[in-house]
Amino acid sequence: MCNLYGDPANARLLCGAVPGASAAYTALNSRPLFLDGGADIVYIGSMTERGQAMAARALAPYRGGISECVDGGVRFLVTGNALEVFGRYIDCEDGSRIECLGLFDVYAKRDVARRYNGLYLGNYGEIEIVGFTSRFSHLYGDEDGALFETIRGVGRRPGERAEGLRRVNFMASYVLGPLLITNPLFAKELLRDMGAGVTELPFERAAMDAYNARLREFRNPKTGFDYGG
Amino acid sequence: MSSVRFLIALWAGKLTRALLRALGRNATYLPGVVALKLCPDFLARVGRPDLIIAVTGTNGKTTVCNLIVELLTACGISALDNRLGSNTAPGIAASLLTGCELSGKCRRRAAVFETDERSSRRLFPFIKPNYVVITNLFRDSIMRNAHPEYIAGIIEGALPTETKLILNGDDLIAACVAPENARAYFGAARLESDVTQCVNIINDMRLCPKCGGELTYEYRRYHHIGRAHCDGCGFRSPEPEYEAAAIDLAARAMTVREGGGEYRYDLISDSLFNAYNELTAIAVMRELGYEHRRIREALDGVSVLRSRYNEERAGGVTVIMQMAKDRNALACSRAFDYISSRPGEKEIILMMNNLHDSKNWSENVCWLYDCDFEFLNRPEITRIVATGPRARDYYYRLLLAGVPEERLRCTDDEREAPSRLEYRSGESVYILYGTDAIKLAYSVRDEAKRLAEVALS
Repeated sequence: MCNLYGDPANARLLCGAVPGASAAYTALNSRPLFLDGGADIVYIGSMTERGQAMAARALAPYRGGISECVDGGVRFLVTGNALEVFGRYIDCEDGSRIECLGLFDVYAKRDVARRYNGLYLGNYGEIEIVGFTSRFSHLYGDEDGALFETIRGVGRRPGERAEGLRRVNFMASYVLGPLLITNPLFAKELLRDMGAGVTELPFERAAMDAYNARLREFRNPKTGFDYGG
Repeated sequence: MSSVRFLIALWAGKLTRALLRALGRNATYLPGVVALKLCPDFLARVGRPDLIIAVTGTNGKTTVCNLIVELLTACGISALDNRLGSNTAPGIAASLLTGCELSGKCRRRAAVFETDERSSRRLFPFIKPNYVVITNLFRDSIMRNAHPEYIAGIIEGALPTETKLILNGDDLIAACVAPENARAYFGAARLESDVTQCVNIINDMRLCPKCGGELTYEYRRYHHIGRAHCDGCGFRSPEPEYEAAAIDLAARAMTVREGGGEYRYDLISDSLFNAYNELTAIAVMRELGYEHRRIREALDGVSVLRSRYNEERAGGVTVIMQMAKDRNALACSRAFDYISSRPGEKEIILMMNNLHDSKNWSENVCWLYDCDFEFLNRPEITRIVATGPRARDYYYRLLLAGVPEERLRCTDDEREAPSRLEYRSGESVYILYGTDAIKLAYSVRDEAKRLAEVALS
């Protein structure tokens, strides 16, 4: 279900980079496998707006266990609108509200009549992050921990430099690309933090060529960042 | 007052059209812009033909529209259309004002409009089509269309209740639109090549639209196209009123089953996608009451638009231009699947580059990872040249798809791409280009033909 905007390629890249790695998928109405331990990383990607409601509903019974995992240092990578499922709620344009897991003190405001599309350039420590955002919602609230610091583009919401969410090893970002594909340096850092023993990504030279070309474009002040709806 | 405003808008639109035509322009967009600017409810007020057929969907709507217009023409009906113009509100306004008198009264009996899915909310409530055809609903531009469920919601919200739907019954996303509207389904019976497990990256109909349980596919053609049912609640794909069977792409023939009868048709091309397009047009003509014999006769001589696909010989090589909509993972996946299924050795130039974006922006490349580049990992595809502004992204994606590095080349300059091919006698060279690169693609094709002749002379 979490399969929009090329995001599953993030998981495929991780599996391809680590010899012997395998992925286990949890179906919508099943108990999440990671709650029983054994996962080196939990990945959740972009989904439809109806999918967000279904995911929030399906995960609600496991909220306590998921919270323990997040606070206990289980590594999560969450991309696109999946991050909103971990906030308090999503307010929709029709006045309805989708209650979410409430693990982070943020909430989303959605308007499906207004799609925001833009480029993203930010920092993860010393690493420059490039990617895209394409979404119906923005994130509001007081949560401190951000994943990226925005250089150009929109962070959690327009005018906000903080992008995404970070707590212990939980990392969440609106940035699409797919994130690990368009950011080989970030992918390597993640694998290093996971202790995967990977010194080089598959086809790293080609990945870096594409990354550097994009970085040049995104650093160029003449490149437009806000594509509109 | 509003009537006066409408007439002023109509005349201004007609005047704009006359001026543009005098300058040798098509006048298929700007007159509509002028009319809508002066009278925002122009579409609701302008005279409309008694019969309006709107064709929407992710892929195939242009071809289906062309087919319907040609079939109607062959049957003696000159329908208004927007084939040369935009498929949004201004394009359709321009077409309607062309077809009406200075009073605003419509002179034509019928209209066939290709309609952009997202524009349906600005169109359907006003032009009130008698029929809306949905060819299919797949992922399209991530930025514009988000995902098919979103698009289905827009179309559903725009449909007048009296409109009859003609739907692809093999596409459960399209088939489930506006269940309260009258409808007819078309579909294709199981093919030998069908599978049960999805081999594509995009698979957007996994869960039952009624109960959310997992769907079981009895067979699957590609992506979510096929027949499925839900073991949980009994939901299942609809039975098509118009069913293509015995599709033989090599012999270019199919049979259409309807109401217990079987009717033989020649196919307009050797691709399954165009077999669907043809079946869709046949379903529309049947809904309009035309006999199969009449439709079959009318289909004689109809071909697929040449700007989207054409092939020419040069030296001992066949050079093929094939449009593959950029930003559209589905369209490109279908093109890759088609090419990989063709016999013989091939070389490919990939130049679907959203050239318009690259002028001021940078293309969102997420769609490359929804797209089945894996189809290009075949030994008969001896070389692939990634070219244009996104050449490096294509190159990396092809490597991740498993294509051996020695078969790949990469160059920023599209015009240089033909020089990176090998040109073997008997092979095919495919040039896959985007919607805004037609002129450039022709120039690349001419260079490829020249080099093929030099290499094999």
